Amino acid sequence: MSFWDNFFGAKKSTANVAKDRLKIMLSHERASCKLPYLDDLRNDLIAVIKKYTKVEDIKITSHNNQNVEFLEVEVILGK
Amino acid sequence: MGIVITVTSGKGGVGKSTTTANLAVGLANLGKKVVAIDFDIGLRNLDMILGLENRIVYDVVDVMEGRCNLAQALINDKKSKSLYFLPASQTKDKDILSKEKVKKLIESLKESFDIIMIDSPAGIESGFEHSIFLADRALIVSTPDVSSVRDADRVIGIIDAKSEKAKNGEEVEKHVIINRIRPDMVDAGNMLSVEDVLSILALPLIGVIPDDEDIITSTNLGSPIVTKEKSLSAESYRRIARRILGEEVEFLDIRAKKGLFASLKGMFK
Repeated sequence: MSFWDNFFGAKKSTANVAKDRLKIMLSHERASCKLPYLDDLRNDLIAVIKKYTKVEDIKITSHNNQNVEFLEVEVILGK
Repeated sequence: MGIVITVTSGKGGVGKSTTTANLAVGLANLGKKVVAIDFDIGLRNLDMILGLENRIVYDVVDVMEGRCNLAQALINDKKSKSLYFLPASQTKDKDILSKEKVKKLIESLKESFDIIMIDSPAGIESGFEHSIFLADRALIVSTPDVSSVRDADRVIGIIDAKSEKAKNGEEVEKHVIINRIRPDMVDAGNMLSVEDVLSILALPLIGVIPDDEDIITSTNLGSPIVTKEKSLSAESYRRIARRILGEEVEFLDIRAKKGLFASLKGMFK
């Protein structure tokens, strides 16, 4: 933010807003595009866990950290 | 043997056909034998941009279906004698193309042309798949706005999956063209910059075309702007054509001319 932007009360530049929105959107889209097996994996996991305990839902999210890619599996147990 | 260059984008209306036309003329004027093919089956665009709409007798589907031979369908450009054009069919049956027919056509064009430029339809359906199927190179056109960049990213992600070259273990060479950039808006922080777009798409840049009213008027006239002298956008197209041929060409300086107020403002940053 420059002096004048502050002086005129300018907000965050719209280009930066666009860039941030795109980055968030594309990180989601790329993950789902790259891992087409996620739905099948989720259903299989539910089937396995059901053998041992009650399962309400499974959430799988993929993350990219530096060059390491990992899946986070969250099992929500039923009552 | 010629090479196949597909111009694609995902989103419609970002300037694929204009880019195809200008680069085809640009490459022909550099001495290459070029054929530009409109693959937007059902809709025609490239013919009017090239100013050849009145000379169409046969189209790409006529050739594929054997209703005419290739030489009958090819239209020679008025000014650039080494440029030929193969128009899109206006049939409503958009599934009329098949991989085998496309392959046969492209293989025979490769024998007599240096460069085969394919203008891909918007979207990621069968028309797009056919146009990328035999590509050696892909030029991805994007304007600096969120929907165009998003669609370009999606298209980039599926190019290799749809290409024969990638199936044989090679990669389609991909480059980005950023179209309709407005340096004044970039400077004001109200338009994604070239660097912003490239950091998102993560592909090498082959050219930036400034937003230019003269492109609209040259389309009105059916005469691609690339031949115009003293035009920033024409020079941008000419430089992309040279880069396609492997020449290393400096990128044009298309920064906004700073007015007095902008210069004053700059002092306080």
